[in-house]
Amino acid sequence: MSFISWQYALFLPAVMLLYWQLPWRGRIFLLLAASYSFYGAWDARFLALLLTTTVVDYFGALAIAGRRQSALKITCIGLLPLAWLLGCSAFYSAHAVVEKWILIAAAIFPLVYGALYHLLWRLPVEKQRRGFLILSLCSNLSALGFFKYFNFFAGSLESLLAQVGWNPGWTLLHVILPIGISFYTFQSISYAVDVYRGVAKPSEDFFTFAAFVSFFPQLVSGPIERCNDLLPQLQTPARFDVANLHRGLQLILIGLFKKIFVADNCALLTNYVFAPKTHLNGQWALLGVLAFAFQIYGDFSGYTDIARGSARLLGIHLNRNFNFPYYAASPSDFWRRWHMTLSFWFRDYVYIPLGGSRRGLLKTFRNLWITLLLAGLWHGANWTFVLWGGYYAALLTLYHGTPGLRRLAKPEENPRWRLIAGTVLMFAFTLVGWAIFRSDNLQQLLGWFTAFVHWNKGTVDWLHPFYWLLFHVLPLLLLQALTWKSRDEAEVNWIPWPIRGVAYTLLFLLVASSVAPDVEFIYFQF
Amino acid sequence: MKRWFTPAFLTMLTLLIGIEIIARVFFQSSLSGRFEYGYSPTAGFVENADGTVNLIRAGGRPFWPQKFSMPRPPGMFRVMVIGDSVPRGPSLQASYATQIGEKLRALGIKAESLNLAIGGNGSARSEIILRKALEYEPSLIILHADNGDEYEDEREWKRAQEFKSWHPRNWLMKSDFIRRLYEAKTEQIFWKWIPAQVRLLSDVNDSGNKALAAQNPAMRREWDERARRNTAASIALARARGVPILLLTAAREHSDDHGGLYLDDNGMDDMVRPMLGKGVYFLSMKQILDATNFTAFYTGDGTHLRPAGHALIADAVVKLLLKDKIVAVGK
Repeated sequence: MSFISWQYALFLPAVMLLYWQLPWRGRIFLLLAASYSFYGAWDARFLALLLTTTVVDYFGALAIAGRRQSALKITCIGLLPLAWLLGCSAFYSAHAVVEKWILIAAAIFPLVYGALYHLLWRLPVEKQRRGFLILSLCSNLSALGFFKYFNFFAGSLESLLAQVGWNPGWTLLHVILPIGISFYTFQSISYAVDVYRGVAKPSEDFFTFAAFVSFFPQLVSGPIERCNDLLPQLQTPARFDVANLHRGLQLILIGLFKKIFVADNCALLTNYVFAPKTHLNGQWALLGVLAFAFQIYGDFSGYTDIARGSARLLGIHLNRNFNFPYYAASPSDFWRRWHMTLSFWFRDYVYIPLGGSRRGLLKTFRNLWITLLLAGLWHGANWTFVLWGGYYAALLTLYHGTPGLRRLAKPEENPRWRLIAGTVLMFAFTLVGWAIFRSDNLQQLLGWFTAFVHWNKGTVDWLHPFYWLLFHVLPLLLLQALTWKSRDEAEVNWIPWPIRGVAYTLLFLLVASSVAPDVEFIYFQF
Repeated sequence: MKRWFTPAFLTMLTLLIGIEIIARVFFQSSLSGRFEYGYSPTAGFVENADGTVNLIRAGGRPFWPQKFSMPRPPGMFRVMVIGDSVPRGPSLQASYATQIGEKLRALGIKAESLNLAIGGNGSARSEIILRKALEYEPSLIILHADNGDEYEDEREWKRAQEFKSWHPRNWLMKSDFIRRLYEAKTEQIFWKWIPAQVRLLSDVNDSGNKALAAQNPAMRREWDERARRNTAASIALARARGVPILLLTAAREHSDDHGGLYLDDNGMDDMVRPMLGKGVYFLSMKQILDATNFTAFYTGDGTHLRPAGHALIADAVVKLLLKDKIVAVGK
């Protein structure tokens, strides 16, 4: 179910109204039912995968904390994915069947997991804790690896072998990528690691934990929440506060504006520039990547605002994901402002465990490169994403190794003119990064670069489409100018209420003037 | 205790309600039938208290702005032209409808000719306009008969039905102001600023769908049958009112296998011939233009006429009116 669908417009108020009528326990069950319905509206079969992740991390975290569960409980809860799949196969039509090998895997899962669980308990405490963490990481990453990267790596290997004259002749599997798998997997991993590190307590209650993993506002595209931020809010019964209602609706309106008015309209130009066989000139190449910069920002930050607003209607606070990213003066500053929950995740669970910047310059660069290549790959199974990660690693290396540029990493230590110049330069670097990110393959990327250096009259008018871009981007920049003072992109409460009322009206009308058939959010595919 | 409604929210609500009231009270005529895409029986016709009628751009009806008196003045020969973008013409002045009036007046005939043609209108929507036009006592109806716009008629009918429904996806569009704003953005900004190549890639231009449907022989037969049925119904309506009707069949340029151009009436001439009878006249664009160097009269798309082409059609119509004594010189 998409946030910008009419179904969601009915779903959210219904969930909210019911939520505040129920006692705490009832709310957890309602959240769980709502989240599973929300996800299942896309493809109910993949709820079994979500359930499996939930089961593994629930028992894994408890075991890490030294709390052993009975074999009966593990078997009963471990059978839930199988039960769900059997239900699906009984009701599903021919085009969405549950294949036999999946049923067999789901049937074997509680046996294998139960056996490993009891084996690990025989180890000494520290090895046992590490064993459960590794079990959790392996199961999460193998699910992610299989569904997201199997065909990518198998296909790449096949191409590589073909280069040396050997055709392995294997057939790639028809694997559907479950939406949001990268987001909920990373959230689950951080939970297990935090419990292992002793910075978080495991959830005793399976249903509360299941609601944490599947919380519908942030299930498919984040923000990637830490258990210490979200779990306590689910474990404590919240009281209805009308201020949350106001803030929630405000965030949803701003999110809809960013998605429907800004992103979807910019997408028109991007889709043309990055379509196969489009003949471009330099003007169009620049226009396309500019449009994509605002499309992806509007799309993802709009999604985040709607997610935060939806959660706020239920009394739950989610973390911010964006902080004026295009005003960054350096690559490190950019990553502190863009998709913040993912950046901080990679910082805390990859970069710092690798050693961070503590072991000399060379190792710092190595850690940066590993982290950013993985961050690039996280976005999708395509070499352009890996290249995008590498591009940012190279930029960070360049900035780190150049004294004049390194100074920009700490904005407070720079005069205003240098910050402005740094921001303009960084925005130009960001645009090149988006060209890499948006290209479907390396050939298309090369085509974009070739077009970019050929400025000529061209055959397709670019000036009016440029007006179109300005028409949709200027209101966003105006909104950002209004919210700049509060340092929160979606915080408008400091503005006097008459102006705020007019701003709400304008935002609403701009959204209403752009309603179009559902256009999916970009980050769903990640 | 906090208030449920903040002053900013109430400001927004007041502004939206105010705008909606203003739209409904002061812009009712131009908004009427906005989402009926030419299927509204009255949109585009504004009947004034002083007995005059304005033809305006309203809803799916972008008429050329014109004004005439509701009862036909005594002795006035009133011609009304109904059809699609071909009779609508590049401008009101250049259209053959206007030129017919001028040519008749030059012959000393007290005549007025009104252009009620709208781009994209097929036989169904033309019939709806005809029904309204007959209320204004025309002396002659010229129906520009074609079977090339049935796809548009069908699509607009579906759109009209869709917007009538109370499905949640249409709730926002129940506001006159919001839907006008939406259409204004689409018509004034989207269509003007975004080149066709870009629109085509974004699936927002259905010319591809039209071309695809036109390749389907069953679909083409269905469109022909629909055009035949609606044209016959239009003739019956005019006859019932005792108003003569002239069927002017469309023709387009096509290229043959050798790259040469020829005129194609798409079977329209044969379709309308059996419908002729008392009070029903016929002119074929193909016959009129075949006798000339027709490429000089068509625009680049091979469908629409240049002003000189409209003049040629107007000459042929006037000639027929005089020959068949539908109107007499000096009358």
